[in-house]
Amino acid sequence: MASLFKDLAKISAYRDKRFPGTQEEFEDALLRSITVYVGNMSFYTTEEQVYELFSRAGEIKKIVMGLDKNSKTPCGFCFIMYYSRDDAEDSVKYISGTILDDRPIRVDFDWGFQEGRQWGRGRSGGQVRDEYRTDYDPAIRRGGYGKLVQKELEAQRQLVDYGTGSLGAYPPVMPPPHYGRHNGGNHGRGGSYRHGRDYHRKRHREDDHHRPDYPKRTYERESRRNSDHESRPEKNPRFRESGDSDEEDDDDRKRRT
Amino acid sequence: MSSWRSLLLRLGEKCPEYAGNADFKDQIDACHSLVRREIEHSGDDVFPFLLQCAEQLPHKIPLYGTLIGLLNLENEEFVRKLVESTQINLQDALETGQCNKIRILMRFLTVLMCSKVIQPSALVVIFESLLSSAATTVDEEKGIPSWQARADFYITCILSCLPWGGAELVEQVPEEIERVMVGVEAYLSIRRRVSDAGVSVFEDIEESNNVVNEKDFLEDLWSRVQDLSNRGWKLDSVPRLHLSFEAQLVAGKSHDLSPVSCPEQPGPPGALSGIAFGRQKHEAELKYPQRIRRLNIFPSNKTEDLQPIDRFVVEEYLLDVLFFLNGCRKECAAYMVGLPVPFRYEYLMAETIFSQLLLLPQPPFRPIYYTLVIIDLCKALPGAFPAVIAGAVRALFDKITDLDMECRTRLVLWFSHHLSNFQFIWPWEEWAYVLDLPKWAPQRVFVQEVLEREVRLSYWDKIKQSIENAPALEELLPPRGGPQFKYSAEDGTDPTERALSLELKDMVKGRKTAREMISWVEENVFPAHGFDITLGVVVQTLLDIGSKSFTHLITVLERYGQVIAKMCTDDDQQVKLITEVSSYWQNSAQMTAIAIDRMMSYRLISNLAIVRWVFSPLNLDRFHVSDSSWEILRNAVSKTYNRISDLRKEISSLERSVVLAEKAASRAREELESAESKLSVIDGEPVLGENPVRIKRLKSYAEKAKEEEVSVRDSLEAKEALLARAVDEIEALFLSLYKSFLTALAEPLHDASRDGTLRPSGHVDDMTIDLEDSSVMELDKDDERSKKSHPNGSGERKGYNLDEKQQWCLTTLGYLKAFTRQYASEIWQHIEKLDAEVLTEDTHPLVRKAIYCGLRRPLEE
Repeated sequence: MASLFKDLAKISAYRDKRFPGTQEEFEDALLRSITVYVGNMSFYTTEEQVYELFSRAGEIKKIVMGLDKNSKTPCGFCFIMYYSRDDAEDSVKYISGTILDDRPIRVDFDWGFQEGRQWGRGRSGGQVRDEYRTDYDPAIRRGGYGKLVQKELEAQRQLVDYGTGSLGAYPPVMPPPHYGRHNGGNHGRGGSYRHGRDYHRKRHREDDHHRPDYPKRTYERESRRNSDHESRPEKNPRFRESGDSDEEDDDDRKRRT
Repeated sequence: MSSWRSLLLRLGEKCPEYAGNADFKDQIDACHSLVRREIEHSGDDVFPFLLQCAEQLPHKIPLYGTLIGLLNLENEEFVRKLVESTQINLQDALETGQCNKIRILMRFLTVLMCSKVIQPSALVVIFESLLSSAATTVDEEKGIPSWQARADFYITCILSCLPWGGAELVEQVPEEIERVMVGVEAYLSIRRRVSDAGVSVFEDIEESNNVVNEKDFLEDLWSRVQDLSNRGWKLDSVPRLHLSFEAQLVAGKSHDLSPVSCPEQPGPPGALSGIAFGRQKHEAELKYPQRIRRLNIFPSNKTEDLQPIDRFVVEEYLLDVLFFLNGCRKECAAYMVGLPVPFRYEYLMAETIFSQLLLLPQPPFRPIYYTLVIIDLCKALPGAFPAVIAGAVRALFDKITDLDMECRTRLVLWFSHHLSNFQFIWPWEEWAYVLDLPKWAPQRVFVQEVLEREVRLSYWDKIKQSIENAPALEELLPPRGGPQFKYSAEDGTDPTERALSLELKDMVKGRKTAREMISWVEENVFPAHGFDITLGVVVQTLLDIGSKSFTHLITVLERYGQVIAKMCTDDDQQVKLITEVSSYWQNSAQMTAIAIDRMMSYRLISNLAIVRWVFSPLNLDRFHVSDSSWEILRNAVSKTYNRISDLRKEISSLERSVVLAEKAASRAREELESAESKLSVIDGEPVLGENPVRIKRLKSYAEKAKEEEVSVRDSLEAKEALLARAVDEIEALFLSLYKSFLTALAEPLHDASRDGTLRPSGHVDDMTIDLEDSSVMELDKDDERSKKSHPNGSGERKGYNLDEKQQWCLTTLGYLKAFTRQYASEIWQHIEKLDAEVLTEDTHPLVRKAIYCGLRRPLEE
C-alpha cells in the first residue's frame, strides 16, 4: 500500500545459498511463498504457542519446528505454512518484531516449503482435487519426506545471513508499561513495581529432562547482541559448520531421487 | 535516496534532512529551492513522487500544496501537468470507487486552490457534480435509494474538504459555496437517516427498537462543519502555510480543471422493495463503508476541549496514517504521534484505534494490525500512552455487558496479545471482584477468556505468577492438566479396552498401514465390542499418539485418518467422534479446537456434525460462560467460507486464463490460415501455402494453443462444479446453523423474556428484579464498593443484574447476530431460502431482530 517507505523490489535482505536457482527466481519464490520463517524464538516455545499467535494472521496449514540436529529438540526457529499468500504477508507485516514467549521474534518469507512441494507430487495444476485447505496428501509424507525436509531446512539455515530488519529498530527489552491512572491512587503503580526484579524460575515443561545439557534459561535479559548470538540458528555452536559433513549432500541426493 | 526525494518525503518533520529545523516555512523554502532546480533536470521524476507523497501522507497536504503553489510561480507547465494528472486520478478513483483516494485527492485539490494553483470555481464545479449525483441517487423516482451509501460518501467528501479550504472558498466565491451548502442541506433533508443497528459496538439488542434519535455520521459531520462556519472557518488542526507565502502566491496563475463525472447509477432507477432493496443496500455499504464509529469511551473532559471540527480532522489524520502506512511500522508510529496539530491528542488517538479494532462488520485491516500499532505507540510514548490504553481497557471492561459479542472476542484476543508483549503485567487486583459475580457475568467471562488466551500464548505457571496480586483469580485460569487418556495406566478403565488400545499402539509403532488397521478394527474389534467402544479405543489411542504437538497430531491423522473416516461416515457417528475428542482434550480448549479443526480439514468431520455437536445439550449449557464452543463453531464456519472464497478466487483467475488462452489460440490459427492461403513458388510451380516446414510448425503451434485452451476450459468447468457444490454446502450449513439457534433459543426465550424484552428495564432497584436473587444482592454491595474505590468517578459500574437464563439468551442472540453479520454477503445470497425455512411467522421477535440486525435488513418491509 504505502510504497514510499518500502523498497518493494527488495523483498528480503538475505540470499539463501541453498536455493537452486537465480537471484530472480529466488525473489520470485519469496514473492509467491506462503511459508514464513520465524527466528529468534525461545527454545522452549511450543508449536501450540506458535499456533495461537500465528493463527491470528490466518489459517495455518503446517508448522515445522527447527530442530537441533543432535538432540532433536527445538532450537529457536520454525517454519509456518499458511493457506494463502495474504495471510503469510500479514504474519510478516504484523508479527515480526513482536514478542512471543518473552522474545522478540522475526518473521520473514521463506522459499523452502513452497519449493519442496514439487517432490513426490507430480505436476500441479492439471489435476483437480478438492483438498484445498484440507491438505490431505499422503504422498507428501511417503518415504520420510517430512524428516528429510526438516533436516534440509535446518542445514539451509546455517548458511543464511540475516541483516537486521525492522527488529533492529526495537530493543528486545520493553519499557515496563505503566497502567496507572493519571491521578495516582492505589492502582497507580501498575506494572512498574515488578520491573527489575529478577525471577529465576525453572520452566515446568515435561520435556525439560530431554535437554539436561542446556543451561537453564534465565530471565535476566542480556543485551540484544548476546541473546541474538545465543539463539540465531546459523551461529548456534550446536550446529556443525557447513561442509564438515557430507550428510547434507546425502540428503540432497535422496531428496532428488 | 536522492536528496530532493528525501527533502520532499520529510517535509514537515523534525529530521536530519532539514538539520533538525522544524519550522515549516524554512523547510518549504529549503525544499523549494532544491526541487525547482531538480525539475529543470528531471521534472518527469519529480511530479509522480510529489503526487505520491501528497496521496500517501495526506496529513502533510498543506505543505505540499504550498510548495506546489511556489513552483507554479516559475514553472506553470510543470504544475499544469501535475494538476491534470491529479484530475485524471480523481476521475479514475471515482469510477473504480476507491474511497480513500477520492477523499484525499479532493483535499489535495482544495489545498491547491488555497495556493492559487487552481481556480476556486473549478473546485466548486467538482463539488456540484458530486452533489448532483448524490441528490439523484436518493431520489425515490429517478434514483436508486438503496445506493445511499455512495451518495452519503460523496457528500462526506465535499464536507471533508472544508476544513482545508472553507475560509478561502467563502472569501473568493461566496455565492457558489453558499449554493453548495444549500444543496447539501437539501440533500440531508431527503436522504434517510442511517441507523447503526447491527453494527454499533455498544448495542443492547433490544434498544435498537426505538427510533434513531441520534445524528448519524453525516449529520454529525454537517453540524461540525456548521460550527466551523460559525467560527469564521478558523480551526487549530489544519496548518495554513499558504498564508505565510501569500504575498508570493497571489502572483500565480490559477489553472482550470475540466469537470469530473460521477459513475452511472448501478442499475435502473426506482425504489426497490424488500429483498432486492436490502441486497443492494448491503452491496453499496460494503463498497462505501462508514469509516469510523466513535466509541465515546473516555470521560468527556479528556477529548471534548477540542473544537468539534478539530476532532474530525485529527480522526481523519489518524485513519489516513493507519491506512496508508500499513506495513511500515516505524513510520506509522512516528506519524501517529507527530501530527501537525498544536494540542495533545493521546485519548483521541487511543479511541480512534479502538474504534478501528472494534469496527463492525470488520475493520479495514486484520485486528492484529491494531495490536501492533498499539504496542508501537506504547513504546513511542512510554510515559503517556500505556496509561491511556489502560483507561480504554477499563472503560470497555465497565461497559462490557453492552459490548457486541464479536467485539468482546476481538477485545479478548487483542488484550491477551497486548499483555503478552508487555510481560503480562496488569493490575489484576482491580478486577478480582469478578469472582463475586455469577459465573455467567460478562466481566467475569471476559477475565477468564483473557487468562485462557494468555495461557495459550505463554504457559500456565507464568500466567499464574502474573496474577499474583489477585491470587484468587486462579479460579478462572484454565485447567492445568494435560490430555485425559481413557486408557492410561491408572485403574478405572476396562482392562479389555485397555488391551485393545495397547494393541493399537503397537500397530502404530510397528508401522502398520491404515488398511491393515482398518481390517483389524473391522474384524477383531467392532464385531465383538460394538461401535462406541471401538470408536473410543481408536480415537483415544490415535489422539494419544498424536498428543505431543500440532505436528504429531497432523502426522497421525494423515497416516491413520482413513481408519476414523471408515468408521464415522454419518453425522451421528461424527458427533460421537467429536465428543470423544473433546473428552480426550477436556483440559485444553485450544487442543480441542485444533483437533476438531484438523479433522474437518481432512474431511473426517463435516461442518454439519460440528454444528450439531456445538448445539448439543452439554455445550448449550455453557454458551454464556465460555467461548470454547463458539470458537469451534467460528472455525467451522470460517473454514467452509474460506473454501468457497478460495474457489471463487481460483475461478476468477481461471477465467482470465481462458480469455488469454482463447486469444493465443485464435492468433495461432490466424497465423496458420494466412500462411496456408499464401501462394508460394516451389520448384518453379505456384503452390498454395508457404514453406511446408513453416506450415508444419505453425500447425503444431495452433494445435498446442487449442489444447491449452481446452485444458484451461476443462479446469474452469471442474472448478465451477466444485463451486456449485461448495455453495450448496454453505447453504446447508447456514440453514442448519439457523435452525439450531432457533431450536436452542425457543424455550429459554419464552421463559426469560418478559414483555418481549430480556433486560430488566431501569436500575438495580427496579421492582422487576427478583430480589431474592443472591447474585443481584451481592452486586449491589459490589457496586457500592467499586464506586468507593474509584474516587475519580471514571470507574463507575452499572450493577450486573441478569439472571442466568437472561444472560444465556443475550449471549446466544449476540452470537447469532455476530455470525449473521460476519457472513452477511453469503447469507444474502440464500435469503429466500432463509425466509422460507427459518424466518417463519412463529419465529421469536428477538431472534428475527438479531438476524435482521446482522444483515442490516430493515425490519419494517
